[in-house]
Amino acid sequence: MKMAIAWGCLVPSRRSLLGYEAATRKVLQHLGVNVIDVPNETCCAPFWMQSLDQTTSLALASRNLAKAEEMGLDMLTPCSGCFHSYKRVNHTIEKYPGVHERINSILRPAGLRYNGTVQAFHLVDFLYNQIGLDVIKSKMVKDFEGLEIGLRYGCHMLKPHEILNIEYSERPTFADEILEGLGLTSKQYTGRHRCCGGLLRGTNDDLADEVLKNRLEDAKEADLDALVTVCSLCHIQHDMGQRIIKNKYGIDDLNIPVLHYPQLLALAFGFSPKEIGLQQHTASTASFVSKLKEGATAQGGGK
Amino acid sequence: MGQTDEVRTQRDDIPIRDEDVERTFKYEVAHQVGGEGLLRCLKCGACSGGCPVGAVTDYRPRKVLGNVLLGLKDLVLSSDDIWMCAACFTCEERCVQEVNFTDIVTILRNMAVKQGHAARGYLEMARTVVAYGRVVPKTFAVDKMRANLELPPLQDPAMEELTKIIQASGFDKILALYKGGDKTQ
Repeated sequence: MKMAIAWGCLVPSRRSLLGYEAATRKVLQHLGVNVIDVPNETCCAPFWMQSLDQTTSLALASRNLAKAEEMGLDMLTPCSGCFHSYKRVNHTIEKYPGVHERINSILRPAGLRYNGTVQAFHLVDFLYNQIGLDVIKSKMVKDFEGLEIGLRYGCHMLKPHEILNIEYSERPTFADEILEGLGLTSKQYTGRHRCCGGLLRGTNDDLADEVLKNRLEDAKEADLDALVTVCSLCHIQHDMGQRIIKNKYGIDDLNIPVLHYPQLLALAFGFSPKEIGLQQHTASTASFVSKLKEGATAQGGGK
Repeated sequence: MGQTDEVRTQRDDIPIRDEDVERTFKYEVAHQVGGEGLLRCLKCGACSGGCPVGAVTDYRPRKVLGNVLLGLKDLVLSSDDIWMCAACFTCEERCVQEVNFTDIVTILRNMAVKQGHAARGYLEMARTVVAYGRVVPKTFAVDKMRANLELPPLQDPAMEELTKIIQASGFDKILALYKGGDKTQ
């Protein structure tokens, strides 16, 4: 299987997010998916850019889609913000032909055109629907029996479901099914489906802190071995943001490892914590890694 | 931008007088892409009930919708409220009338931006993208971190294409509104 892949701005350049890219590349290769980076990818112009000018945002997102269309490939992305942008382009040009014309008139001077034929997939949805749990389980060499994680679906992978078309966002289960297939217990806890405030970071930091504080208190209360995220902003908030919340609100005993979704798959496939960047997260992942060593049972002889 | 510990009273907004009302405002919003749902709003408040920002402040999406429907154009477009939405889309997901509040807030923000009320943080991100093609510019440090994880070098963003897109969409003119003296809140 061959897919174009857009990594977004944050994933391939932030210290704590590089592990997201590393794990995604390793997991996809291990599963036999061939990914081609979108050539000279530019910013997908997500919601914050839409806020400034919707038409510009749609045209910028269409640029990367046009490149995938030229290659004749569908688009995969691990970033929920990018996923949302690409899905929104396809939805908008289908519903409003006038907007489609306008976008192409904007792309024309740059020598580009987007016909709307590229399907966009979020990595986690792709793993569940295009690869499937059985194939993933067949590649497992370790399982995580006894470990409890809190999975955050985030907002932009699921909402609004009419546009994104994965699963209704109030009680989603697909991403939990894969993790439970790896032997993890995915704990239901208060606030796991609530917004992290990530899009307010940089424009209204006090508000972003206030929302995040509630989310981290929820996670702390749930007594998890780790949080797992599928969204760049969720990770930045929960991982890097922990230090801010600790200092600002004087919460001392806050140290929750925050992992990227495919990092768990990579670990199950036998990759080492180091090659998927677990040492680069802001909140230490050491407690989770040490539990892994104790708890992991080799079923296929290791790697 | 409103601080979260500030209590903002509603007394400044009422009573509403004829001279504050622009009756065609709701149609102006409803006729834009994504704004169609506005006129279906029942003001039931499901949007406010699920709002994560509303959980920690007195921000209420229903109040924004109410003010738009009333025609309080100047108040809405110059208010901090329209910049407090975190775009979680919970209101949009739960709205029985398919009002699509997040799309409406986008329309209101776009209108406010043209009047000089853009949020400073988003403007800065836009300037970074226009200059470097990405929200996080590619630097030597990034290349080094990538090499340590055996990731391929980051490609240079297609700046020529991006610049032409920005010019063709007129976004360069929008940014030019904010040159020099910052008009932001």
